[in-house]
Amino acid sequence: MNFELFWGNVIKVWTEYWDVLLLDGLVVTLELTAIAVAMGVLLGTVVAILKMNRFKIIRFFVNVYIEVIRGTPILLQLYLFVFALPQVFTFVKLSKFAWVAVALSVNSSAYVAEVIRSGIQSVDKGQTEAARSLGLSSGQTMRKIILPQAVRNILPTLGNEFIMMLKETSLASTFYIGDLMTKYQEIRGATFISLETLLIVGIIYLCLTYPLSKLVGWFEKKMSNDNSYKKMPKHATYESGMVEGTDDQGDEPNTDLKALYADRARKHQLRK
Amino acid sequence: MEMIKTVGLHKSFGDLHVLTGVNQTIQKGEVISIIGPSGGGKSTFLRCLNLLEVPEQGQIFFEGTEITGNPAPGEPAKKRKGKEPVDIDIHRQKMGMVFQNFNVFPHLTVAQNITLAPVMLKKKTQAEADDMARELLNRVGLLDKFNEAPNNLSGGQKQRLAIVRALAMEPDVMLFDEPTSALDPEMVGEVLDVIKGLVDTGMTSVIVTHEMGFAREVSDRVLFMAEGNILEDGKPEQVFAAPNHPRLQEFLRKVL
Repeated sequence: MNFELFWGNVIKVWTEYWDVLLLDGLVVTLELTAIAVAMGVLLGTVVAILKMNRFKIIRFFVNVYIEVIRGTPILLQLYLFVFALPQVFTFVKLSKFAWVAVALSVNSSAYVAEVIRSGIQSVDKGQTEAARSLGLSSGQTMRKIILPQAVRNILPTLGNEFIMMLKETSLASTFYIGDLMTKYQEIRGATFISLETLLIVGIIYLCLTYPLSKLVGWFEKKMSNDNSYKKMPKHATYESGMVEGTDDQGDEPNTDLKALYADRARKHQLRK
Repeated sequence: MEMIKTVGLHKSFGDLHVLTGVNQTIQKGEVISIIGPSGGGKSTFLRCLNLLEVPEQGQIFFEGTEITGNPAPGEPAKKRKGKEPVDIDIHRQKMGMVFQNFNVFPHLTVAQNITLAPVMLKKKTQAEADDMARELLNRVGLLDKFNEAPNNLSGGQKQRLAIVRALAMEPDVMLFDEPTSALDPEMVGEVLDVIKGLVDTGMTSVIVTHEMGFAREVSDRVLFMAEGNILEDGKPEQVFAAPNHPRLQEFLRKVL
């Protein structure tokens, strides 16, 4: 391999197309990610609430929804939303970009719903009992006692969802909707320079995901170190007279959430 | 005056029949300790009193009002469809409860732990509640922790906070569910002192405890619960010095 040529091409592609990549492709990618995650959170919250509904039949349908979305490839879902559904719902006039955004939002909602549900359920049951014993209603307990504590478990994981979605939007390039990967295909088509362009695009993705995941990690750490919610380290527990396992347990969900994301990451890996 | 009366209380967890028809009447101003082996139904009975556990059968009268919605013996079953028969939240406001694991709210300050419920339930304005919180915290020696996060407190301090949090609702009765079982031995005393100070003011209290000495000292009446029912019910001197039921004799031999 001719390294001189290689670096020459990298520089050439970058100087010629950096604006296309950054100002065009990256912006679309970020837009798509932001829409998908924001809508995913809204939709996911609804799904999570429905999943905790007392009617079995509603819980059943919600479970089907979550399992179907988590159990089928995101690419399949994209095909469904971009090619199939517009033919069924002919009265819905949406752009291809919008259909892609809808597909990603729906996909995200299933994951976010699980994140929110396990975040809520991770709050110690004693918290509910204490609040109810004071005479608060179940709604008041949820709003004032449970949700504020659950949010701390949920937020870092939502950060991960954002990172995951940022990468998953690349699949939308299948439909040429102008995201970063679409731009890669366009540049390759125009210049026949493939590997070098891929390198540049890869670095752009990394420049986003790496700091973001560091940020999430820092945030997670901050949350767990914060005097409240989590158990203190064992020695401190003993010193301060708290009994192991009896304190407010804020950190239980993580295993759950980690498993969820490990599962997802694996799928991600397989796709590649 | 009868504060709490239970009639034929039954509670099961799956196949486990935890309460087998408990009858008990607690008078206003009485201090009751419930002792007995683990799994004997002490905590379940206590948690039934404010419906944290809902008994399948039997009734609970709180200040004369039936709160379970269960039918009286011989009466046909009431329809339980639709709206709950009684608004338990109203009654719970008058029943303070203290838990083994404190269950203080970690996302609020010490003061907010106390003021949240009274303000939310419109019993007090924020300013009134703050004044009361100051007074209550002063009473249990935690005034300097007013703006602290609860997790900066020791176990004993958390439990004292939990007690005054319940008191802030100005309850008619206090339920204590093994309030010192999760504490380091050296912190048991400070919590028991607070409870003692409270019962001395005439607060009707029901205390599930393993602290036999304490039960003997503060109670008007001691209930011994095992195998899902009250097997002995008497003055502390009698229960501890001259127990009748063989199961109680065996229990006291083991713990004393």
